[in-house]
Amino acid sequence: MMGARAVPAVLCALLCAVLAVPLAPSHAQERGFPHDVPFVPTAQLTVDEMLRLAGVTAKDFVIDLGSGDGRIVITAARKFGARGLGVDLDFNLVIQSEESARQAGVADRVQFLQQDLFKTDLSPASVITTYLLPGVMLKLRDRLLALKPGTRVVSHDFDLGDWKPDQTTSVRKNVYLWIVPAQVAGVWRTSIELPAAARKLDLEFTQRYQQVSAHGRLDGAPAMVWEARIAGERLSFVMTDADAGEGESALYFEGRVSGDVIEGEVTRGVGMQRRVAKWRAVRIKR
Amino acid sequence: MAQGRARSTAAAACMLAAAVAAGPGAAAGLPDIPTPYLASTHVAVDEMLRLAEVRAEDLVVDLGSGDGRVVIAAARDWGARGLGIEIDPALVEESRANARRAGVAERVEFRHGDVLTADLRAGTVVTMYLLTPLVERLKPRLLAELRPGTRIVAHDYGFSDWKADRRVTISKTYYLYVVPAQVAGRWQLTATLPGGEGEYELRLEQRYQEIRGGAHLSGGFLPAFEARLSGDRIQFVLVTGQTSHRFEGQVRGAAMEGVVRSGTGPQLVASRWRATRIVSGAEEG
Repeated sequence: MMGARAVPAVLCALLCAVLAVPLAPSHAQERGFPHDVPFVPTAQLTVDEMLRLAGVTAKDFVIDLGSGDGRIVITAARKFGARGLGVDLDFNLVIQSEESARQAGVADRVQFLQQDLFKTDLSPASVITTYLLPGVMLKLRDRLLALKPGTRVVSHDFDLGDWKPDQTTSVRKNVYLWIVPAQVAGVWRTSIELPAAARKLDLEFTQRYQQVSAHGRLDGAPAMVWEARIAGERLSFVMTDADAGEGESALYFEGRVSGDVIEGEVTRGVGMQRRVAKWRAVRIKR
Repeated sequence: MAQGRARSTAAAACMLAAAVAAGPGAAAGLPDIPTPYLASTHVAVDEMLRLAEVRAEDLVVDLGSGDGRVVIAAARDWGARGLGIEIDPALVEESRANARRAGVAERVEFRHGDVLTADLRAGTVVTMYLLTPLVERLKPRLLAELRPGTRIVAHDYGFSDWKADRRVTISKTYYLYVVPAQVAGRWQLTATLPGGEGEYELRLEQRYQEIRGGAHLSGGFLPAFEARLSGDRIQFVLVTGQTSHRFEGQVRGAAMEGVVRSGTGPQLVASRWRATRIVSGAEEG
């Protein structure tokens, strides 16, 4: 991975902050590459750990932002059977990456482009890998968050600020994994088949990154929502239901979010007493 | 736990006294005062057993079993066996009657006794809804006497300094603790690592399920990364050069063994590893 190249823009920002003096446009800005970062190759150990943490398989398409000498994309193809794309600003590194890919026998499964990572189409990726300075990571954050839910993002050393990682490992270096969450904020309407009767349930979700909370109205009465979680497109939460004659029981909701629809199963009770029903919710307000 | 029953309420009274008077209270001198019996709700019983992932082969021991609802639910809803310990003889009788009515009398047992002295060793799951002072007094025994891997579920009041392995809040909070094997100390580790030696001295420090340490070899020290202990399952990562070696194994008293996977992808090499205890953490002091 990579890294990145050149840091005039970063230095400039630092100097400006310190000196409060506007500087002349840096070399990088003249070339139109305002987001340069130095190229520091990632140790092979960390490359392996990033791809392992992301759970890369032959089904994945890995995009490495700031691909340097190509080692992440080549490793993803060689050791994990994935396909991949690396983008880097440095044309020499792009050529070197292509040559390394040929030598590794994976040239048919990987591609390298001289490109600004901010102009790269990230939508084909199922996994994004980065080793970029914090400022660049933060600028990327909203674009990463807008990717298809379930897309995995891995970084090392630098995180995404207040978007907390879903998982972290530290084998010599800190490696972070984020799973792009589905967006569930808004009001959802559903009805569920409970033993006593079909019940009307409205749910209002608030969300910040993968942290969600909700409150509900069950047949119009306020109802608490517990343990709300989102992992990619998988949503889960728990409510309690006091059904006539059955005693109070927990309702365990699980579902898959697809745009403005959630479909899944709700389980009432536990163990051999549990009963499972389907549920489907539609977003009525964002 | 069906109950929050807290027996021994010298300790509970002490807590109250401390809160009011900001004084420690002479707990030792107070007689045990029965506290009110508070039954767990249906949701609480379900959630405790769900959190413990009870299976048919489990023996669920409920400390302060009240009217027997946790033990009966474990048998009726999860197919497990159960044992309830209860200080109030009337509740013990009631529990037995409830178990007969639920058709699970042959799979559950209720004993009249004190949770602080009862024999819990057969339990694979322990449930409790007890006040903090009693929970704390039970802790050393639970850690020392229960087999590694035994799941303890506490309702509302968990252990003060033992971090829960899982925690769930559904109206009330439930804590899951998995009794960790004792691994602190020095171990002779035998492993075949590509590019490494075969013999290491593994040194581990432990605080409940949290462990750290590393492998000493002639000429160096390899820190153990991502070291984790869950019951009798241990895992850690050693690194040589640019290769990670992921150890996973099982602890059995003074020995542990398992599989180490070196590298990733097609270059992954798996082999067996084994360690025997040289000095235990207790001996080291």
